[in-house]
Amino acid sequence: MDYIYHILIICLIYSIFAQSLNLELGFTGLYNFGHIAFFGIGAYASALLSLKGVSIPVAIMMAMTIAGISGGLFSIPALRLSGDYFGIATFVFAEMVHLIFLNERDLTGGPMGLPGIPRPDWIGSGITSLPLFLVFAFFAAFATFLLLRRITNSPYGRALKVIREDEFVAQALGKNTFIIKTKTIIVGSIFAGLAGALWAHYITYISPSDFTLQETILVLLCVVLGGKGTNFGPVIGAFAIIFFGEFIRFIPIPSGYIRFVAPFQGMVYGFILIVMMLKRPQGIISEARRSSPKNA
Amino acid sequence: MTIYYVQLLTNGIIAGSIYAMFAVGLAMVYGVFKFINFSHGELITWGAYLTLMFSSPLFSLPLYFAVIPALVITVGIGLAQDFFVYRPLRQSNPIAILIASIGLSYLLRNVIRLCWGSDLQTFDLTLSRGLIFWGIYITKTQILMMLSALLFFGILYFLLTKTLLGKSLRAVSDNMELSSIMGINMKKVTCTIWVLASVFAGSGGILLALDTNLDPMMGMNNLIKAFAAVLLGGAGNIWGALIGGLFIGIAENISVAFISPDYKDFIAFGLIFILLLFKPRGIFGIAGGVR
Repeated sequence: MDYIYHILIICLIYSIFAQSLNLELGFTGLYNFGHIAFFGIGAYASALLSLKGVSIPVAIMMAMTIAGISGGLFSIPALRLSGDYFGIATFVFAEMVHLIFLNERDLTGGPMGLPGIPRPDWIGSGITSLPLFLVFAFFAAFATFLLLRRITNSPYGRALKVIREDEFVAQALGKNTFIIKTKTIIVGSIFAGLAGALWAHYITYISPSDFTLQETILVLLCVVLGGKGTNFGPVIGAFAIIFFGEFIRFIPIPSGYIRFVAPFQGMVYGFILIVMMLKRPQGIISEARRSSPKNA
Repeated sequence: MTIYYVQLLTNGIIAGSIYAMFAVGLAMVYGVFKFINFSHGELITWGAYLTLMFSSPLFSLPLYFAVIPALVITVGIGLAQDFFVYRPLRQSNPIAILIASIGLSYLLRNVIRLCWGSDLQTFDLTLSRGLIFWGIYITKTQILMMLSALLFFGILYFLLTKTLLGKSLRAVSDNMELSSIMGINMKKVTCTIWVLASVFAGSGGILLALDTNLDPMMGMNNLIKAFAAVLLGGAGNIWGALIGGLFIGIAENISVAFISPDYKDFIAFGLIFILLLFKPRGIFGIAGGVR
């Protein structure tokens, strides 16, 4: 039972993370391949603050703010680029952030990471706190879902989709696309920061190796599999991917072959990404398109 | 003291010549197909690991012969990438092909981890003493690296400028549709591009592995340097990529004198950022490439 709680909590945290990426990648068409950086910034900020004695809700709020600010600062130069180049810039940004986590030993603990991150007092610690943490994660994920749905269903959300389809059209319609994209990245980073902070407080130990290309691919997979540009897609994607990852552990494998499990899992993830792109690029849930029913 | 900088410069040129080999393939693929091939890095890794396989027990070929089947299979992987993934996606939207290339890179990297494990491996070379020229240390492997890079780029230059195939290659990278209308055999050209990209990446990987070691992430780590080199030279520009690669290698190694070696990789990353911001078309300002 505890194990199921654990999986559900991870699913919920990843669903927040995937939704925040979806806002950028799915709705706005910004190829963000470095979203893990903001997840990591949120995790480290919240962990460091709470280890310094800041109360956890405040620490999480501040972590979200810091992630949002870094997203904003990042977007100002990066948004001068478009398409593939933006993708490379984000990818590189994530590597730079990873290097900082790894090398600023005084601040981040270097490769040893930060142990002993507290959970909120009212949740407690240890296994008995799992149900309460699940409730906490659920509310966070639900709030994220409602907020992002509200954003994407508003006129602002429609502007995002226009930018994705054709940026010149958006400009011609009088939208300041730079400001809109900056805002999107800030919002996306804030929620990625929230997911990261929850992750840090849940796992209670973080190290730079938690925030690498591997996790970028995982969250990308959640979004792509579930259906980019839909509100519910990334949530489904996150649940499917995390459950699949955990399910593999239950296949009876002779103990000598345990070391093959992780690479095999990676192969399956990579394979799913390719097959999705070849056969069903819109994902499990496809985006409703009123105007062009044939090409959907 | 100057000898120290000359030594760093030499190291930089050696590293740079390998980066250039990686970057050239990336630039060629970008120039023609207009997408960033994230799985290019895996060709580097596969070249190195296949050589390890053919030179270790089971096959036990001498190293120089092991290179041949390794490169042949690497080329096969490169062509298979195109045939199974990139060709069907050529008409679809750009993000699909980009995500597919990330997936492909992850798939290929994990096959390596499955077959050879995640640990560092090395070729069992007898330790040879570094040679000293005017106070500069350089190993035989490093000389081999520079010579091979020179040879490969020489052949490439000859191919591109002196043969009909090279001419059609340049035409296609200039304008794909127009050249197919003019009757250039597109299949032949695309195949050539993937073969060249795979050979350059694979042999670069082998040389790098001879000098340092093999690990499953070697492709990805060097791919970032290759990105930097390609951007420096202007996307799709082959000779720009060559100079970009050399520049990155030299900048990285000289930087060791001024900043902590932990941040050596930061140079390439920082360069990418600065370039993307101020000169998104590369220092030579070749137009095109931006989607």
